[in-house]
Amino acid sequence: MWRNKILAILLALPSIAFSFNEEAPDSLSEVSRHVTQIYNLEAGGVRILDTYLSPLYYSGYSLALSGVWTKALPAHNPRRLTMRFDASLRADFTDNPGRTASMYALEADFSWGLARRWKLPYGLQLTAGGFAGVEAGVIYLPRNGNNPASALASFDIAATASLSRVIPLGKVPVLLSENLSIPSFSLFFSPQYGEPYYEIYLGNHSGLIHAGWWGNHFGIDNLIAADMDFGSTALRIGYHFRVRSSFVCQTNISRTSHAFVIGVIPHGLGLKPKPSPKTININALY
Amino acid sequence: MRFINIFTTLLITFAICGCHRYEAYENDAYGNFDALWQTVDSRYCFFDDKEVDWESVYGEYRARIHPEMTVNEFFDLLSDMLLTLRDGHVNLVAPFNQSYYRAWWTDYPQDFDLRTLQQYYLDFDYRTTGGIIYKILDNDIGYIYYPSFSYTVGEGNLDYILSWFKDCRSLIIDVRDNGGGNMTNINTFVARFIHTQTLGGYIRHKTGPGHNDFSEPYPILYDPAPQTRVHWQRPVAVLTNRSTFSAANDFVSVMKSLPGVKIIGAKTGGGAGLPFTYELPIGWSVRLSTAPVSDAQDKSIERGIDPSEGFECHAPAERLAQGHDDILDFALRYLSSLER
Repeated sequence: MWRNKILAILLALPSIAFSFNEEAPDSLSEVSRHVTQIYNLEAGGVRILDTYLSPLYYSGYSLALSGVWTKALPAHNPRRLTMRFDASLRADFTDNPGRTASMYALEADFSWGLARRWKLPYGLQLTAGGFAGVEAGVIYLPRNGNNPASALASFDIAATASLSRVIPLGKVPVLLSENLSIPSFSLFFSPQYGEPYYEIYLGNHSGLIHAGWWGNHFGIDNLIAADMDFGSTALRIGYHFRVRSSFVCQTNISRTSHAFVIGVIPHGLGLKPKPSPKTININALY
Repeated sequence: MRFINIFTTLLITFAICGCHRYEAYENDAYGNFDALWQTVDSRYCFFDDKEVDWESVYGEYRARIHPEMTVNEFFDLLSDMLLTLRDGHVNLVAPFNQSYYRAWWTDYPQDFDLRTLQQYYLDFDYRTTGGIIYKILDNDIGYIYYPSFSYTVGEGNLDYILSWFKDCRSLIIDVRDNGGGNMTNINTFVARFIHTQTLGGYIRHKTGPGHNDFSEPYPILYDPAPQTRVHWQRPVAVLTNRSTFSAANDFVSVMKSLPGVKIIGAKTGGGAGLPFTYELPIGWSVRLSTAPVSDAQDKSIERGIDPSEGFECHAPAERLAQGHDDILDFALRYLSSLER
């Protein structure tokens, strides 16, 4: 019962986000709703378990490239919503505990979402919303014969939230933010417990797609970032904690990574005062 | 405040939901032993076929672990435990050794000698493509020797070979000593000998860790090669011995069900479980039969396939040493006796 309640709350989150009263539109004649672009490089440690391939945890390092594009919405009241598109590509390089075998993973994901934002006291900004995304990839264990690879694919509906505040660091405004997203409802691919891909190749496609929720397909993305706005450009440093875990058909798949993030935001965040008071920049940051 | 409460509740829920069951083993003798036993117990697919009491194996072999064991002794103990499965697809692989159940073929006559074939029947003069040896023998009988299904055979390779045999009255496909390989190569071969979609067998997979947790049998259907490819519609003899194993065993199973095909030689070696590879905490790998393949009547072929009725024969070692391959001679006599 409690699970149903939580699910209902989560389902309602996006609609709650859109149900608050709009703020008054900006009275100035020119409002800029440019696309804020953030390009990140991530590097860190990763642990992977895929019991279809091996009962052992593999650990090693992970590299990722990601891009985030955000824009304020809607046009007539751009302080209300943000639209966001994310894309990332990750590569993992891991070894088993005995260092007798290596396993590699490659994964890409794309997502699109909307979030409602609120101004809170003390200069805080809160956003909450949801997004839809796809993830696809493969885990490859060359030592294995007929089970050398495990395909990853999922379509996720996720809840997302962030809390941010701008603080000055000398003359540089710094946006501190905590961003959290949690895939909540998914459709994901998994072969049966001992099903060879050869059987799938033969045409047996039954039972490969599974409905996911937190109980069998759990994930979390937590990014803590500091964006230093130098005006014409901004620099991001941060920490990204990412978990993807699924348990279906007695197969346990888990990937946990901790990564240092460094990013660049071309054209800055608009946190520095602009020379033209006639223009208001509405940034769409989470 | 209300929002924070909801948020906290959600996070706690995530943490609980995200804890999936995972069985970890210590990297010591007992941990590795238990990991191996458990992996076999949950993944191996032929317990009933082999009539192995795996529970009693656990007690018997675990009791032999002692603190003074060397790594080699421990490897031998685990290897001995795996030998109880009597399965040529089961291996324990360490950096210094690989266990292997050999009795499936060492307890039987070999019935084949490659040197005899090459010297006395092919005169060291034959064509080769895609790992296949081929030649036209006396009486216009085409001969193919395919030593391993690990050699990928291209459609073009088969077109060339079968075109080379266009004036032949019949064909011999020799898969003796063929230890298997890639199952998709079976499709490539079989597609040249059928005209309609053909049921070749069934495959199952484990759906859970129980010994009898199997999926419903899924039919393995073979489609004929496109009309633009060269097909073979004349008599065929497939030569087998005990070392015809795994994918080669599956190939024989399919070919045996086709009209105009005779299986000549000795019973094959079996090996009808598609093997998967797993690992132990120490880093050694273990290979196991996990997905059983059966024939077109859904009967197990794990213990091998008998030759066609009336076509069992052997090639004794002493005769091979004298240059006589009695299985090949049998096939040549049989095919020569058929009307063109």
